[in-house]
Amino acid sequence: MSTSFYIGALELATGAVLVCAVMTLWRRQVRTIVTMLRLQGVALACVAGVLAWHEHDLGLAITALLVLAVKGVLVPWLLRRVIRRDPRSRETAPLINVPASLVSAAFLIVVSYVVTSKLTALAPSAATRLVPIGVATVLVGYFMLVTRRRAVSQIVGLLLVDNGIALVTFLLTAGVPLIVELGSTLDVLLVVVVLQVLVVNTGARHGSFDLDEMRELHD
Amino acid sequence: MVLFMAGLGCCVLGVVAATVISLERRVIVVTLVGSVGCLLTFTAASQVLVSGRAESFHSSLVLPLAGINLTLDPLGALFVAMTSFVGVATLVYCVGYARGELRSRSALSLLLVFLMSLLVVPAASSVVTLMFFWELMALSSMLLIMVEQRRRVETRVAAQWYGAMTQLGAASILLGLLLLSTKGGQTFGDIRSHVAALSPTLRSFAFVLTLIGFASKAGAVPFHVWLPKAHPEAPSPVSALMSSAMVAMGVYGIVRVGNDLLGGGTLWWWIIVVALGVVSALFGALHAVTSVDLKRLLAYSTIDILGLVLIGVGCSGALAASGHPRTAHLALIGALLLVVSHAAFKGCLFLGVGAIERATGSRSLDHLGGLIRRIPISTALFVVGALSIVAVPAFSGFTSEWLLLQGLLHGFVGKSSPTLIMLLVGVVALALTGGLTAVAFVKVIGIGFLGQARSTAAASAHEVPRTMQIGMGILCIPCVVLGVAPGIVIPLLNRAIQTGHSSSVSRPVETGIGLSLVHLRGAIEPMLLLAGFVVIVAVIAGANSIRRRPARKVEAWRGGGDRPTARMQYTATSYAEPLQRVFADVLRPEIDVEVTHAVESHYYEQSLSYESRVGDAIERLAYQPAIRAVTRVGLAARRIQNGSVHRYLAFGFIALLIILVVLA
Repeated sequence: MSTSFYIGALELATGAVLVCAVMTLWRRQVRTIVTMLRLQGVALACVAGVLAWHEHDLGLAITALLVLAVKGVLVPWLLRRVIRRDPRSRETAPLINVPASLVSAAFLIVVSYVVTSKLTALAPSAATRLVPIGVATVLVGYFMLVTRRRAVSQIVGLLLVDNGIALVTFLLTAGVPLIVELGSTLDVLLVVVVLQVLVVNTGARHGSFDLDEMRELHD
Repeated sequence: MVLFMAGLGCCVLGVVAATVISLERRVIVVTLVGSVGCLLTFTAASQVLVSGRAESFHSSLVLPLAGINLTLDPLGALFVAMTSFVGVATLVYCVGYARGELRSRSALSLLLVFLMSLLVVPAASSVVTLMFFWELMALSSMLLIMVEQRRRVETRVAAQWYGAMTQLGAASILLGLLLLSTKGGQTFGDIRSHVAALSPTLRSFAFVLTLIGFASKAGAVPFHVWLPKAHPEAPSPVSALMSSAMVAMGVYGIVRVGNDLLGGGTLWWWIIVVALGVVSALFGALHAVTSVDLKRLLAYSTIDILGLVLIGVGCSGALAASGHPRTAHLALIGALLLVVSHAAFKGCLFLGVGAIERATGSRSLDHLGGLIRRIPISTALFVVGALSIVAVPAFSGFTSEWLLLQGLLHGFVGKSSPTLIMLLVGVVALALTGGLTAVAFVKVIGIGFLGQARSTAAASAHEVPRTMQIGMGILCIPCVVLGVAPGIVIPLLNRAIQTGHSSSVSRPVETGIGLSLVHLRGAIEPMLLLAGFVVIVAVIAGANSIRRRPARKVEAWRGGGDRPTARMQYTATSYAEPLQRVFADVLRPEIDVEVTHAVESHYYEQSLSYESRVGDAIERLAYQPAIRAVTRVGLAARRIQNGSVHRYLAFGFIALLIILVVLA
């Protein structure tokens, strides 16, 4: 693979991860948001795949397949099931409206470029130059956690954070040992399953998926 | 060291035994294993004291990262031996005492954990080891206070106070010791070799920090508030261990850090120690006089005896700092001997109160009376402890306070005026405290054991099980032996303090059977005193038997009233009332007098009720406002927490952003 093609592919895939993250803030339909999450999972798998190809690393290739299976297929499918159980959560109810969210996202991206400049300067390469995008994904995910009301969007926010962390890991270290990656990816799956059960049960018991209505639970 | 480790192993075995053995045999097995452990550690410590050679042990397996460092040097060995001795007595006592909650798995295993940590603390020779076992000691004793928490809610309040105070103290000690180990190495050896390189300000800072922590453990005023709450609420064996062994660890810490690790220090450090001691001694003694609850009285008397010890330690340090090593040694020997004999007599007294509580169901003096006829053996053992604490000659308290006083009096040769003033105040405090302690224990014996029973429970008291008496009896042995033949322990104490001071002076006290001070005028022969006393008693008894007169029986004068009843006797409150009146400015008693007049005439009184409460003035004036302030801040902080998940997440998010921006 030629170097220019490698760099181009890597930049495209990484950019797609961030674009998907920002799209989740833009769209109101929860179904669309889950689709975005799926696309992000696929893009993440592509990043891992491109890196594996470039480094000729079999472990990373397996990781890419694993990411594709879990984050591209399994997790979105589980989330779809939650949405189907809860007709009220068709639309997200943002605490901060969409235009303001997008402006904030832009601000967060700038912040992540500023704060990671030292990090990239340590070992400048095609991959490490893209680290700010991973950090930006983490921040956007966290922002979503803070500003979205529905339980499903909360899960999506958490997954965005996780995807961002995974992206940073891939770009900085060209993949951690397979066993670690296996552990963390399966962890995410477990978290989603637990949250799914929790959300469905809470919904059945309290008739609501809105976290703001759980306020009286504090001590 | 093998014996010592084997002893600790026995304690661990006892913890295991406490959890697996069924209820019927649990107490006897656990106490047996624990006692064997204590005997082993006692032997190990005595060997070190006799030979004067320190032994060490290091293992990196027990505690992660730092490992465990133990060194049994003579100073530590003295405290280990003392703790082991009290431990054996307490465990034997437990065989008869343990009932209900104290027989549970958790309580018995905690008791052995507490005992083990008490044994390790004086042997610890690194900061990590010391702090680990210090915390273990604090936490296990805190849980032991709460053993009866289902039945008595007040134990929870006591444990809360104790927990807060002991954690603040531990934090202060940790900070101080960390300051000392900044130049490398956290073992005591490293600290000793590096301490000279530290700046004097840093050393002083470290000393003051550790002093606060250790003094609060030793119950020094104003850090004493936990003590009169915690000691009364714990089961009696636990109170005995806490009061005789755990409180002594505070003194150990001050001597270890001040004399050993920091190698003496400057004059003003020790003036602070003496000031703490003087205030505690007087405050404790005054409260002991006015207390009606027996355990509370003993708790306050712990504060006063430990105050005397601090006076001794402080004066010793000050004398050493101003160049009088001989008198410094004398005062330190007196102080340490007082710690040891305090362990014996206070342990005996606390166990004795446990026996009274078991026999009558009450520990309030106003419900007791006439116990000498109902429980004669327990009374005799309690009286031995009481004679010892009021420093009657031929008992251990006398010997130690005599040595302490000699140390202070012979220090007057010094010229520096702060030292002179300090010594003078120390001597006066020692004398006044001695007098007040005597009043307190005359009250206990007179009101509690003599006279008529003030309640039906006291009138029908039964003698306690034999093992409880044996437990108290074991602790009476040192009370008498140290009083009659102090010569046998003084050489060991001489060795124990050699670790402390850098300039080693050979033997300030010459010992035969009695004691005489080297190069100073002063000697006592308790054996001769005792012999003289016996001769005088024999002569008087003989003279009486020669001219025997028949006893005349007459009725007591009762002022025209009816037959005297038990309620006409002196009560504990009325006995202490004059002193309470004299010291009203310090004690701040709250007195309610309520008079109900007859309907017919204002001049006739139908009933009269009198109530006086002596609260802790320091707690009321210093601690309560602080607690209120903290509570107010806490309530204000709750406004931030409204239960919204989003708000909590936003806090995290903003904090993350701030950290990122600051780091970039």
